[in-house]
Amino acid sequence: MNPGLSRFLPSRSGDIPGGLQVPDRAFDRRTFLALAGAGAGALTLAACAGPSTAVGGSTPSATSTTDWAGVKPAKQVSFWSNHPGGSQAVEKALVEKFNASQSAITVTLVTAGASYEEVAQRFQTALTGGGLPGLVMFSDVWWFRYYLNQSIIPLTSLLKAVKVDTADFRPSFYSDYRYAGEQWAVPYARSTPLFYYNKKHWATAGLPDRAPKTWNEFAEWAPKLMGAGLGTQKAFQYPAVAGYAGWTFQNNAWGWGGAYSHDWDLTIDAQPVVSALDWIRKGVQEDKWAGVTANDQAADIASGAVSATVSSTGSLVGILKSATFDVGVGFLPGGPAATEPVCPSGGAGIGIPKAITPEEQLAAATFLKFLTLPENTVAFSAATGYIPTRTSADTSALTAKAPQISTAIDQIAVVRTQDRARVFLPGGDKAIADGFGRVVTQNDDPQTVLTAVKAQLQDIYARDVKPKLV
Amino acid sequence: MFLAFAGPNLVLIALFTYRPLLTNVYYSTLDWNLGSRTATPVGFGNYLRWFRDPTSLDVLRVTAVFTVATVGATLLLGLLLATALNRRIRGRTAARAVVFAPYVLSGVGVGLVWLFIFDPTYGALSALLRLWGTTGPDWYLDRSWALVMVIVVYVWKNLGYAAVVYLAALQSVPQDVLDAAALDGAGALRRFTRITVPLLSPTTFFLMVTTMLSSLQSFDLIQVMTKGGPLDGTTTLMYQVYVEAFVNGRAGYSAAVATILFVVLLLATLLQMRFLERKVHYA
Repeated sequence: MNPGLSRFLPSRSGDIPGGLQVPDRAFDRRTFLALAGAGAGALTLAACAGPSTAVGGSTPSATSTTDWAGVKPAKQVSFWSNHPGGSQAVEKALVEKFNASQSAITVTLVTAGASYEEVAQRFQTALTGGGLPGLVMFSDVWWFRYYLNQSIIPLTSLLKAVKVDTADFRPSFYSDYRYAGEQWAVPYARSTPLFYYNKKHWATAGLPDRAPKTWNEFAEWAPKLMGAGLGTQKAFQYPAVAGYAGWTFQNNAWGWGGAYSHDWDLTIDAQPVVSALDWIRKGVQEDKWAGVTANDQAADIASGAVSATVSSTGSLVGILKSATFDVGVGFLPGGPAATEPVCPSGGAGIGIPKAITPEEQLAAATFLKFLTLPENTVAFSAATGYIPTRTSADTSALTAKAPQISTAIDQIAVVRTQDRARVFLPGGDKAIADGFGRVVTQNDDPQTVLTAVKAQLQDIYARDVKPKLV
Repeated sequence: MFLAFAGPNLVLIALFTYRPLLTNVYYSTLDWNLGSRTATPVGFGNYLRWFRDPTSLDVLRVTAVFTVATVGATLLLGLLLATALNRRIRGRTAARAVVFAPYVLSGVGVGLVWLFIFDPTYGALSALLRLWGTTGPDWYLDRSWALVMVIVVYVWKNLGYAAVVYLAALQSVPQDVLDAAALDGAGALRRFTRITVPLLSPTTFFLMVTTMLSSLQSFDLIQVMTKGGPLDGTTTLMYQVYVEAFVNGRAGYSAAVATILFVVLLLATLLQMRFLERKVHYA
């Protein structure tokens, strides 16, 4: 019997006669070996496609040499976004406004993922497989690896060619994308973490209507919130370990006088960072007034399940829409060593791929100019809570509608550029967040964990970054 | 004649199965960052790094626990469900459809729904437990419970497949043999364990191979529900392939892990063929 699939079913008798028979000698050993050999040869040759393994040529180009004056913009170009902060409608409106404002270039808005990470995955796949966009959004932890892989172009000359007023960008946001004397992206959906609190809970607990100035001050307030009979799970909720724990923990590290790194010198295992992490561990594991969210800390505070949290300004409009109580916002608290600058910058910028035609790059830059016009950054901010990236942007209507946004804008004055260990090392953010999780959710020893995290970051630097630096 | 019939299929299999496989093996010998146009040949360097990395053992442990638990539970519960559905009960056809339905649902959709059910703040399960005056475990913060959560959802989703295949097999079990055993005084349990289960062994073997292959390649539920966390507590070999390529950007290293996964799949299948098939009763 030739069993096939029928072998997997019980049978009460023998083979059914009359089945299709394959002649024994139709596919003999020699034929099989010949076919297998030819196939293997062809496949081996096919397998040799992919990245070039030629020696050298792996350092990113420092400047663009394209003469943009002789380039005519492409007629079609796409913009890849994940619509951060629920911005699909406003982005669609901005694209339609651009398309209606001129006839030379048509922009197509593409939902390239549900998060910065998903856009990054699609972009990286397109870098190998084709189908790249004209303009792409990338978060703070992604753009540098595109620079390292020579996937994006330097923008200085192109921005000059399409007459973008670069001096009008908020300097702290604009300089985030500067490296090796070139500009690699421009700020778009930029944010900082913000301290959110439930004003009703604050009042019930008898607390002053403001955010705490320092984390130690909040440690004094937290027992009052827990003992006020609010029915909350925790007084404070930390972001998810798989979310942005590595981003917001910088605030604590800086407040305690430490840093993940200074340039390429990794200092994450130094005493100030260890102390900051141990302070967080104590609040969660011993004093029990703090927790770590399962999914989204912004949803937790909006539902009233917790009294306070730290979340992105990009969550502001969503929280204000969902909450049934007055939402208070404030600057991020400082630590025992520093009260400012202790707020990390964050969010996303937009850049232009290298492996598309100069015509497409020019068309993308033309749209980039439109997208970052002061009035358009205000429209984007009004819909999301992200901070307008232009200093000349008129934010009066914005702050009149949602006064909390003015706190986010004011906080820019004390924003600090993020540590390279998180934003320049591929996978560095995950390594740091996992270390945070081990200590905070599993009660592991902070010093031991951060020493291991440092070793992990050193390995990433040695393997994936150092060999590619100019 | 053989080439005329089989040729087109052989070409397609070569192009879409073996070519990517060989390409992947080639990439696994490179130090290549995803998106980069250049790469450096490193021979077996990526493999050596994986075998020397202490986290690899943890990934293997998670993979083994996930696979054994999902295959075992799917087969056992699938057989019990099929046995129940094989009886003449009212609404049997509707019940069969309900049991099979989760299998054809999108893994992403299933993951999102169960994500809500398990949520400790808003979840239906937490609400139910609170009614009984207790609270559930930290499904999303505890490594072990997160793995249990993903296993439960995987089994729920794939149970229908095993149940339907078992149901088809149960209907092929010869009634005369069962009747003869009953006449000889064998009770229902004895007939089930001594006649039905052995006669189902070819089906069990088939399901064991296919569900194991499916389980080892599971990705969607893990991505939607836990993203391999917390603290890599649900990172299987398959998920590590994804993380290394798309999170850490190490396409060459990821290709090496994918090749290791392929070898694991191959060995597991061959071992099953070699040792378990001996115990299968082909009538």
